[in-house]
Amino acid sequence: MNNTVLTEASQVSKLVSADTDLVEYYFERGFTDGLPVVPPTAEKVAAIVQVLGGDPQFVEARIAPRWGELTREVLAINMVMAGCLPEYAPVVLAALKALTDPAFNLNGVQATTHVAAPLLVVNGPIAKTIGMNGGGNAFGSGNRANATIGRAIRLIMLNVGGGWPGDLDKSTLGHPGKYTYAVCENESESPLAPYHVEHGYKPDESTVFVMAAEAPHSVTNHISNDPEGILDTMCSAMSTIASNSAVLGGHIAVVLGLEHANTIAKHGWSRSDIRHYLFHNHGNRFIDLAYGHRYGKVYNRNLPKYYKREDDTRIPIIHSPDNIHLFVMGGQAGRFSVLIPGWGHMSTPVHRPIDATSGPDQADCSTGTCAL
Amino acid sequence: MKQDQLVTVYDPRGVIRSVNAPISKRVTQLSGLRLGVLDNSKWNANKLLRGASELLAKELGFSAVNYYVKHSFSKDAAPELIEKIAQENDLVLTAIGDCGSCCSACVRDSIALEKLGVPSAVIITTEFVRETILTRQALGMRELEPVVIDHPVSSITAEEVMQRVAQIRAQAERVWKGTQTPLPETVQIQ
Repeated sequence: MNNTVLTEASQVSKLVSADTDLVEYYFERGFTDGLPVVPPTAEKVAAIVQVLGGDPQFVEARIAPRWGELTREVLAINMVMAGCLPEYAPVVLAALKALTDPAFNLNGVQATTHVAAPLLVVNGPIAKTIGMNGGGNAFGSGNRANATIGRAIRLIMLNVGGGWPGDLDKSTLGHPGKYTYAVCENESESPLAPYHVEHGYKPDESTVFVMAAEAPHSVTNHISNDPEGILDTMCSAMSTIASNSAVLGGHIAVVLGLEHANTIAKHGWSRSDIRHYLFHNHGNRFIDLAYGHRYGKVYNRNLPKYYKREDDTRIPIIHSPDNIHLFVMGGQAGRFSVLIPGWGHMSTPVHRPIDATSGPDQADCSTGTCAL
Repeated sequence: MKQDQLVTVYDPRGVIRSVNAPISKRVTQLSGLRLGVLDNSKWNANKLLRGASELLAKELGFSAVNYYVKHSFSKDAAPELIEKIAQENDLVLTAIGDCGSCCSACVRDSIALEKLGVPSAVIITTEFVRETILTRQALGMRELEPVVIDHPVSSITAEEVMQRVAQIRAQAERVWKGTQTPLPETVQIQ
């Protein structure tokens, strides 16, 4: 066998008869997520390439596991297909840069049998500028920016990354976030400092956060008027042996609804207080993780060595309060929050600036006292 | 057809550029060689690998069996670990590719070891044959042949473990010697 350079899809565009049904054309070639795509035009592609800085052949990333080259032109084609406006381009590009950071292990996230899909959370002024929704129904339908930014990411994971269900994507079940899973924090109504400010960025900087994530799990508490009661309910949701994290650790996202966040903040609790309370008051008993040793004596080498393997040892699902990523979202009404379990230690969330020239200050806000 | 009767369509997939690298030189004689075992820490990988390496060492007369564990079954082994394994061994057996991300990572570890000159037998399950072909194709080592055992692995009995150990015994030697029955060379990525 020769050492040959393989190229696929070397013809980015070609001409076909004008009476071609373009929606069906892309379906027939399998270049969709299962929904109709917007047929790209030269003008729409060029408009996005221009926002990205011109030079359509510039390679921004290679997308695992197919390792297709994501040029600015290919990025723009997929964005148009998803229904994006050109002004969304900096967010989509930053998200792709985050997803291709080696810490994220996109190869594994694409290939896994687990349900995980990349969750994107945008912080900072760009979210408002491009009209993203972090308010009511944030994870639901109805907002173009949320819907099409998340969809563009998925189309790139499919088309360029080759993460086609049944081929390189081996997910047993998947979840609806594999169509689109992009939101922003409700910074304007949140009583807490935004996530990116907690992590050392200035309020006027914009960032993307990506995490390999399960679907949101509702956390209901209509009774408690104090932080402990609300957070104990979140702890209850976290304390299950059903999630990957129970033995594989990693990271989770906790999204407080506005009413819950306001109650907690009224008692003077900071982000740090919330994360530490959750960390110290949840967990599974070791004996439950060992299935009562029903299938043989269990040590469980996927758990850190420093936990005693005794029946009643409390094993948290994440191994540091810093692995809880706390956001405030949602509408004004409703005493609901959500828990979003991650995939496990196999993927590390990535948080990065949208403007590559900015970055977090040295002094971070780990105490949570950086509230605006 | 006139130009005004045409419309432009786009291919959104992007180009793949990969150089197909050869596998390392196969061995003809196994006795006296050092076997490195790379356990990816997935459920039952240790039972499979300990069972198979003990059997292989006894029957084939390895001079040493060295055991290594990588922390995350869904990530590639650290480059330092790959280098250490390559320095300390003449052959490698690694498992288990019985899930999407672990199959891919195991194949990638084997490709890294092959590039360092060590014949590597990567154990995958029947459910992940197609993924293995696609992965070795995308990564540019289309001649890498795996050991294929029955799926599943993670919830099986001791007796079923031994049945899969026998499958490994039968195939690993052929992989190291270059006589394993080849999988289809390539499949079309959508």
